Amino acid sequence: MQPKARKPAQVEQTLPVRGQVEPVQRQTVLSCAALTKRYGELLAVDGITFLLQAGTVTGFLGPNGAGKTTTLRLLLGLAEPTAGEALVFGRRYRELKQPLRQVGAVLESSDFHPSRSGRDHLRTLALAAGLPPSRVEEVLQLVELTDAARRRVRTYSLGMRQRLGLAAALLGDPKLLILDEPANGLDPAGVHWLRTFLRQLALEGRTVLVSSHLLAEVAQTVDHVLIISHGRLLAGGRLDDLTGADRTLEDVYLELTAGGAS
Amino acid sequence: MSGQLRAELLKQRSTQTTLFLFLAMFGLVALASALHVLAPSPSNLASRSHQLEVFEVGTRVGMLFAALVGAIAITAEIRYGTIRPTFLVTPRRGPVIAAKLAISGLAGLVFGLLAEALMAAMTTAALALRGIPNQLDSGDYLQLLAGGTAAAALWATIGLGIGALVRNQVGTLVGLCAWILLIENLLLFVPGVARYAPGAAGLALAGTPDELPAAAGALMLILCAAAVSAGGWLATLRRDVA
Repeated sequence: MQPKARKPAQVEQTLPVRGQVEPVQRQTVLSCAALTKRYGELLAVDGITFLLQAGTVTGFLGPNGAGKTTTLRLLLGLAEPTAGEALVFGRRYRELKQPLRQVGAVLESSDFHPSRSGRDHLRTLALAAGLPPSRVEEVLQLVELTDAARRRVRTYSLGMRQRLGLAAALLGDPKLLILDEPANGLDPAGVHWLRTFLRQLALEGRTVLVSSHLLAEVAQTVDHVLIISHGRLLAGGRLDDLTGADRTLEDVYLELTAGGAS
Repeated sequence: MSGQLRAELLKQRSTQTTLFLFLAMFGLVALASALHVLAPSPSNLASRSHQLEVFEVGTRVGMLFAALVGAIAITAEIRYGTIRPTFLVTPRRGPVIAAKLAISGLAGLVFGLLAEALMAAMTTAALALRGIPNQLDSGDYLQLLAGGTAAAALWATIGLGIGALVRNQVGTLVGLCAWILLIENLLLFVPGVARYAPGAAGLALAGTPDELPAAAGALMLILCAAAVSAGGWLATLRRDVA
């Protein structure tokens, strides 16, 4: 365990010089170092190491049970790693002073009390986070739920629940978003809305880590990918570097994950 | 911290659960008090101690529903998964449990006070209706109201602690009902033990005859509430959230 929070890698403050292409060194927003989680006999996450730089949109891919959700829970302080460490903005999540202002997360599509209204759900979180009530109205508008905000979540469609989850994640206007299977169960219109929405978030310079197994969808939205299987990181890097003219993301994914399957 | 308290208060207010529990408690106390005063023969209601015994059911129901409110404050979050966003906002978790203890205790206070007030009013009215002389003095009423309210508030924190330890909502609620309504009565068969159980200690606090002295009952109940809350607190800090 780190006694003191680590300083994130320093950003080179270089002014862009016209006509000269410098490799931009970006701030590390999220990092896992030899991250390991064991549940009894099962090694759910097996020494995963990677880092995300500011402004990237990364797809976190892998078969069901590969350890994606466990990794995200370790990153978010919901579970304690058996070994290794997971840091956001150079600190353990639990050590963040105002986590909602730095990290927004959607872990499940249904983390709501069915008889609480969408607005009250957001208000409980805003109160606990010390955010103004006006912020609740802003995020409701952002995900187009203002008209349904008074209704109990029980009456929401799956797409509306996903959007309410996103609204909660955006309450603190965070620089980093962590989304677990946000497209699961959405209809085509919902998927389209989500894709546009994620692109907008990326354009605003936010860092996004999105787990999914909808490869075609991911390929349209992300610029980096991480592929894991059986708790191990199999590949990671820029989407363009991993795929090519004759190699789609699906080819790469199937090739990598087939070895570990059986 | 005040944000945490307001968040927990809003959680209590923004679902129908608290209201349903309250209505159920109100109905049960009304029914039980009516049966206990209207059914027995007048000779079985003549003495002060007989009349105090009628109050027992109000205290018991008040404690039970307070415990259920406390238990639901944590188990509903686990059941519906809102515990995840809750801990994402407050990842150190301690302030969440502290606020839940405070707000559950407050809800228990209100439940206990209203249960005992209804009990006292119903009993007094029913005795008058049957023409049985009321042997209770203002001290008896005061102890019922104050003691029963305190007992319910403490039981709310016991419910919260048990909920945090057990986590399964149905298991917790069934367990609490079974303990207060059944198991403590079975303990009467074990000589010398029953009076020290937390339910009996709550009755003592509210002035039920043949229980511990009120101060001893208060001590037993406070110790039990502190131990269970501490257990629930530690478990919540340490355990992974699924």
